[in-house]
Amino acid sequence: MNTEFIHELESAANILMAPPNVVTNEQRHAAETIIINFRKSKSPYVVCREILENSQVQYIMFEAAELLKSALIREWSFLQESDIISLRQYLMHYVMNRTPSAFVQERLLQVIAIMIKRGSVEDLGQERANILSEVENLIIGADPAKQVLGCKVILNLMQEYSITVKTTDVGLPWEVHYKAKRQFEATDLKRIFQFCVQVLSEIIKSDAFSSPNILNLIKYLLTITENVLTWGYISHILPKRIIGVYESVYEADQAPPLRLATSWKDIMLAPQLLPLMFQVYWKVRDNDELAHHAMTCLVQLASLNGSVVSNEDVKMQYLTAYMENFLKLITSVNIKNKESLGISNIVRKLELFFSSDLTKLPQNLQESYLDDITRLTCTFAEGASLEEAEGSDNKYYMESFDNMLEAWTTILKDFKDSANEYLSLASMRVFNTYLQCHLAPPDGTRSHNDDQVEEIEDNEDNDRIKFRDQLQTIGMFGRVILDHSLPVLYKLLEERIEKLRAHFQAMQTQAMTIAESTNLDNLFEDVHWIILIAGHVLCMDSEGETPVIPSEVIRYCVQQCTNSVCTLDATLKVMASVQQFTNDLDCVDQCDHVIRIFCDVLKLCFVETSAAEIKLGHFTSPEVGCTMMWFLNRWCLSYLMPIESFYDEIPQTFKGGLVKDTEGAIFLFNVVLQKIRANICHFNSEPILLQDTLNLFCDICSVRHKSIFLCRSEGIWNLINLHGKLEAGVLPSVIRRGLCRGFVMAGATIAYQEEIDNYYGAVLKPLQQRFKNLLCQENFNKIYQEERVKNEVIDIVEGFIGIAKGTQMTTVHLLFDFLAPMLAELPKFMKIYNNYQVIVQLILELFGQCAKCMLCYLSQLDSKRLYESTLATIQTYTKCNENRFTTEALSEESSFQDLTLTLDLLTYILSKDCLDLSPANPNEEVTITAADISLFGLNFIMPLMTTDLLKYPSLCAQYYRLIVLINDIFPEKVCNLPEELLTKVLISVEYGLTQFGSDIVQASLDFLQGMATYTYKNGMQNSNIHQKLLPFLKLLLDLTLSHQINSDIICTASCCIYALICCYSEQYNIFVQNLIQSQSDPLTAERLTAAFNQLMNNVPFDGDRFHKMKFRDNFDKFISNVHGFLLIK
Amino acid sequence: MQCSALRKNGFVMLKSRPCKIVEMSTSKTGKHGHAKVHLVGIDIFSGKKYEDICPSTHNMDVPHVKREDYQLTDISDDGYLCLMADNGDLREDLKIPEGDVGVQLRTEFDAGKDILCTVLKSCGEEVVIAVKTNTALDK
Repeated sequence: MNTEFIHELESAANILMAPPNVVTNEQRHAAETIIINFRKSKSPYVVCREILENSQVQYIMFEAAELLKSALIREWSFLQESDIISLRQYLMHYVMNRTPSAFVQERLLQVIAIMIKRGSVEDLGQERANILSEVENLIIGADPAKQVLGCKVILNLMQEYSITVKTTDVGLPWEVHYKAKRQFEATDLKRIFQFCVQVLSEIIKSDAFSSPNILNLIKYLLTITENVLTWGYISHILPKRIIGVYESVYEADQAPPLRLATSWKDIMLAPQLLPLMFQVYWKVRDNDELAHHAMTCLVQLASLNGSVVSNEDVKMQYLTAYMENFLKLITSVNIKNKESLGISNIVRKLELFFSSDLTKLPQNLQESYLDDITRLTCTFAEGASLEEAEGSDNKYYMESFDNMLEAWTTILKDFKDSANEYLSLASMRVFNTYLQCHLAPPDGTRSHNDDQVEEIEDNEDNDRIKFRDQLQTIGMFGRVILDHSLPVLYKLLEERIEKLRAHFQAMQTQAMTIAESTNLDNLFEDVHWIILIAGHVLCMDSEGETPVIPSEVIRYCVQQCTNSVCTLDATLKVMASVQQFTNDLDCVDQCDHVIRIFCDVLKLCFVETSAAEIKLGHFTSPEVGCTMMWFLNRWCLSYLMPIESFYDEIPQTFKGGLVKDTEGAIFLFNVVLQKIRANICHFNSEPILLQDTLNLFCDICSVRHKSIFLCRSEGIWNLINLHGKLEAGVLPSVIRRGLCRGFVMAGATIAYQEEIDNYYGAVLKPLQQRFKNLLCQENFNKIYQEERVKNEVIDIVEGFIGIAKGTQMTTVHLLFDFLAPMLAELPKFMKIYNNYQVIVQLILELFGQCAKCMLCYLSQLDSKRLYESTLATIQTYTKCNENRFTTEALSEESSFQDLTLTLDLLTYILSKDCLDLSPANPNEEVTITAADISLFGLNFIMPLMTTDLLKYPSLCAQYYRLIVLINDIFPEKVCNLPEELLTKVLISVEYGLTQFGSDIVQASLDFLQGMATYTYKNGMQNSNIHQKLLPFLKLLLDLTLSHQINSDIICTASCCIYALICCYSEQYNIFVQNLIQSQSDPLTAERLTAAFNQLMNNVPFDGDRFHKMKFRDNFDKFISNVHGFLLIK
Repeated sequence: MQCSALRKNGFVMLKSRPCKIVEMSTSKTGKHGHAKVHLVGIDIFSGKKYEDICPSTHNMDVPHVKREDYQLTDISDDGYLCLMADNGDLREDLKIPEGDVGVQLRTEFDAGKDILCTVLKSCGEEVVIAVKTNTALDK
């Protein structure tokens, strides 16, 4: 008996659990040591049993269970089968008959599950089947407590089988886990499911629902059923790496779809299954906890796919049954908010997995389905809008509404042919509801929370980002019913613009009351949403693509023209009136609807600008201003001067008023540019509005076939004049930057030299002149610290940055020639302004932007010019900051910002070696590569890169990314780095292996592997680098053996180790010998020797890729084997 | 200067103290409200933190901040520094700074190294805020 030992453990536990003021530190420390030693005991089975039998201290019982787990895993292969069986029976008996606390019981159940799983690897699940039979009998026959216990055994067992990649602590290589899982899936998973369904159906029949014991049992049965239905089946053809990703995704996010093999046919297609599951849900839906599990089952069943339903008839049969049950449910209950989530998820899954099959359902089912989901979509939209108004944290309806809209995107496509008329009706209902939810009464139902005016941070997403997906789908609905949606939208908009205008007019003469101010806010909110919706109906998102006019819109407008509902003449008249307040054009009803909405927005712009001109700008809404800029941006890109060849047909109204060379188009461009100018003048204190305005400007300037007309327009010349007059330091600098960028982009398509000279002269000359004036002032050295001079420098550099950012291939020559002489002067500025961080950072950013946007087009000669200026600048920066010691608060933060910019710059430069679009010139000799520059630059800044600075995650990631990239492209250059720099780089790599997160470890490993492979392949055994890499072999082996490298990265680590062994096979052998000899336990030494032999088995160390892969696989098995018995902590 | 034209790392007067802006964000009251600028500044002499929030249209005072580098030529017995400007002018009106920089300055000077001192001047105050040892490279 170990009574005394157990006593010792118990008192240690008591000390550890005691409040801090009762025990001394030494006592606590001693107690910890006792527990830690206990955890390391070998063959602890007897003592653990004694503890479980005799101890009353739950903590020690838990430790005993833990120890059993780790000992079993470690020593499994040495244990006698009979011992194992008796231990398992004992534990089973123990949990059945004793009542340890919940956490001890849980742990013991896990031990049992691990034993069953481990055993099943050898007997292919025979024993497991027997145990399951026992458990099933328990659940059917025994008292409530044991029923629950039986369920827990099943749940634990499933848990052990469900994951394969991360279960390395069970001491089996992944392949074995995986095989065990598949074997379990093929046999007992089905059996468990069938059993649960069977028991559930009996409980349902028995009508004994209300008893708490039964409800508890149902909870467990539903949990098991849910776990089976959300089981992650994983194809055997996937490599381990990818399976790891799947498994972690399933864990974190959502359940995988229910993809089943043919063998599940009789279970899944049994006619009673679906009615039963719906009935269960029906019965438990008032109990939140149970309802959740039951609903998940229903959602999963809506995603059934795979070979189990490969037969079309079978699939339709299943779908029909599901649909009947589902419709019965949703038509007979009032859907609760939480419930809406599940319901909407079912619809989403049905669309995802049965989309085209739904159109083959019997006509009546189809109709009720469409009808019901239209109704639900509207209900959820209304619920969502209430949630918004109440500011509630739970967004059940919002999420449900989003799910429904996602489903609708497929429905609108699939049912287009079969139920077109029905779709129109549905679209109209959803569209109207959405619009109403966002409009104030009387037109809409939007409720408004008067008493809370919230503070909104500018980094919060605005509506068009937050509701992007929603708005896109609403836009789709709107395009189904253009003859309804467009007139509704322009009528609503025009009414409100008129009200706004009247408002501003009244405010000129009298003050505003509180009621009027609320009114005004309501108007703003209405206008904001109408424009958002209109923008989504008329245009589609076109990120990264050429914006086009949706075909539905083209068709609609053509038809309107053909039917003479709209005329060009009327349209042009309306266009001409956008800068007038009159609203009584007779012909307005014959105006093209698309252009009419655009003109309405322009008119609203005019109202806003006019208000600002009479000093009422502070009563306008910047939010609405932003929405207008966004709308103009979208609309101009798609509709203004469209590329005619994209469309089969173009409506008369577009042809006469929007295509290039028409006066209308030029006129509209000018109006837009005027608004841009007005915003810069009147709303420059609104950062977001200003940014949206400049985005609009740059976006329209960047479209090649439009920009040529743009840079001949009066509007742009007005802007150029404004640009010339802007005073430095008065307005936000984004203006200078944005304008310069737009100007140089707009000029990119000018073909005639004279016009080029004229245009760019007007844009660039003033900046150049200002720069010259600065430099040529005799007393510059005296006055450079004056505020006005500093502001001038800042303003000019901002302009340069804009120019660099706007560079395109066609203009790079001209713009670089312009910038280069001034760039060459910047090191000087860096020196004199080194104490002014704003200027230092702007200069670094300018070089960064030149490298990013210009370098790839530059010839060798020009590149060299840029390199020289860059290096001189970085060198000056370093000189000024090296060995500097300052009292300034947050100086570390400042260095961090500077270095981030510098590393950015070096990375951009390096990309020249990956992407070089400069015209090849055979006469130019490549004397210097971008990598040289990056390395030089790195050399300069290395003294400033301190370990403290590397603790800034973004700087850290960027630094390692840069060195890996250089190493990838030019390993030979890295090998030949100056001694000091190389040492520093390698120290940082060592640091990267141990101090940061796994992405940095990965980068460090990549670097090492690249280096080692390079030195090995080039036979550099006697080189400096060869010597310097050696310590990494031991370091890496130590790190992997002692669990300090995350299992996700073991793969990369093993490839790196392989490369290192290629270089240092002798030293590797010595390491292995030492490790084996240092083992005190001969058995461990023996196992270690065997493990190392297996690792090296048949793997030649010749750097060959195939051999490396082989080593990688061996290493994986090696590590899980060795981690099982080697205790290195 | 208009508040919205200020920028991070630039200077501004907060509570009548010259400050370097270390954080600048904007917000608004209500969805259709106008921008307000939230400024966090660090007193350039004392390192104390000041905050302010104001409409973005407001004008803010910007201090005139001057920083000049001087060569350290001597330290007098009563703790005054003898500094030489780029143009050779000498001045002896600044005390050795308190704290770490002072200690660093004293040690390096005693070790016979060449030292550059950065003197920060604003709103009538003047103090040495940074020292830098000249390496052979610079000479």
